[in-house]
Amino acid sequence: MRDGLGFGLGLRPVHYQDVLDGAPAVDWFEVITENYLVGGGRPLYFLDAVRERYPVVMHGVSLSIGSTAPLDLDYIGRVRALAARCEPEWISDHLCWTGVGGTNLHDLMPLPYTEEALAHLAPRVARVQDLLKRVLVLENVSSYVSYTSSALSEWEFLTELTRRTGCRLLLDVNNVYVSSRNHGFDARAFLDGLPVEAVQQFHLAGHLDLGTHVIDTHDAPVREEVWDLYAHALKRYGPVSTLLERDDKIPPLAELVAELDQARAVARQTLSAAA
Amino acid sequence: MMRLAELEQAVQAHVLAGGPLPAVLERAVAPPASERFTIYVEAYRLRLVEALATQYPALAARAGREAFAAAAQAFIADTPSVHRSIRDYGAELPAHLAAAATDVEAAMRAELAAFEWRLAAAFDAAPSAATAPGDLAGVAPQEWPELRFRAVPSLARLATHTNAVAVWRAAKAADAADGAPLDAPAAARIGRIDWLILRPELDSEFRSLPGDEAAALDALLAGESFGSLCARLAEAGEEPAAAAARAAGWLKGWLLAGALERV
Repeated sequence: MRDGLGFGLGLRPVHYQDVLDGAPAVDWFEVITENYLVGGGRPLYFLDAVRERYPVVMHGVSLSIGSTAPLDLDYIGRVRALAARCEPEWISDHLCWTGVGGTNLHDLMPLPYTEEALAHLAPRVARVQDLLKRVLVLENVSSYVSYTSSALSEWEFLTELTRRTGCRLLLDVNNVYVSSRNHGFDARAFLDGLPVEAVQQFHLAGHLDLGTHVIDTHDAPVREEVWDLYAHALKRYGPVSTLLERDDKIPPLAELVAELDQARAVARQTLSAAA
Repeated sequence: MMRLAELEQAVQAHVLAGGPLPAVLERAVAPPASERFTIYVEAYRLRLVEALATQYPALAARAGREAFAAAAQAFIADTPSVHRSIRDYGAELPAHLAAAATDVEAAMRAELAAFEWRLAAAFDAAPSAATAPGDLAGVAPQEWPELRFRAVPSLARLATHTNAVAVWRAAKAADAADGAPLDAPAAARIGRIDWLILRPELDSEFRSLPGDEAAALDALLAGESFGSLCARLAEAGEEPAAAAARAAGWLKGWLLAGALERV
């Protein structure tokens, strides 16, 4: 396993006490970076306590690496300070933009897949990697619109960015599925199109299928079609660290641990068949 | 200007204010781009409404789900987020509500919001190095007049003129899961009450302060020395020894509450 952490869950405040009391069968936790950019109190208390027991990965939503606004050095400094405190295995965020002109839309807005965007992104990724003193891991986002200017496929765009910057990828299998349905591309072509050595982590989550399009909701269990794609990804990338996300309608911890076991079973089955 | 910058500005403007669909979007798609873009427009508002409901749970319970969402949407339309963390969004809501308050219920809701924002700020404020009463045991008598203090990071002061805190207690005790408005107790204007909010350990706490004690605490937090505080009390007509004893009593209480750090 390449630096593999195994099978993890997103740490959510409703589960703090259960995690500490129950020692659940979770190999690692991913924490939303911004939730812990605070002075102290309960959030950092529980982060410290969980970190004592489990490996942790920091997953941000506001780096806005693709924005044409200047990098927010204050924010990056606070991310670096949090990383010094909790010593994450790695730091991830999203390949997107979240706002310009001082506004934050608190959403993961898609980029056009153009040479101009790559030329804009590459030095920014390099700068952030310098500031954080570590390789950045970037996630493909779900998207609902596309741009007339896009000249590359999303996977060609991601691949080129890793080539130029050495950044790694957080391959969100559910997002690949959602975007493939919304934009009419072959999800397997996406999964087959990334450099194997660049994929640091997988994400799994649920979505809402509206028939004509699909919305990335993170409020339901992983659907069958995403499990199939996960198996496909495992064959290409091997036993990459896998994280199950749930951000809304969060069930009891035991239910998520059971769903994580399903991911373990898919991985066991797929990888033993491939061996 | 970079085409990317123009694209981002056009897309953001459409999320915030609507208008014609940005020309940069691919149109040859089904469902149409206008319908697809609505996902972003709605998600932006829903996410901020949810963030406000998280920061202002008692206000949301009091108003009820629908009225709260409507009030939140009006605030959001006036106040785009400038924060990296959505947790920091909404500090201006109490002032926004107060500016539009024309009746006692609305005035109470503005104070309720101000109270909740301060509780939330105390919840994840930096830890304190509060001075304990025992820490002053070694201070020589002649040094006492020059003692100065500052607030611990979680400390907040607030004055209310309505029964907002009683409504807060009722909302906290109620089960507002059905989203119906919480009508009791009725909003009422009452005399000024000063509140001290703190988070000594992991849980936020608050208590009311008599007016003279609140004024003394505010003066100390503004940098006044302990000796100057005692002198002012004496100038107001109190015997110097009695004034010093009263100030010392208050100081002991604030220190026991974990409110102050010695400067």
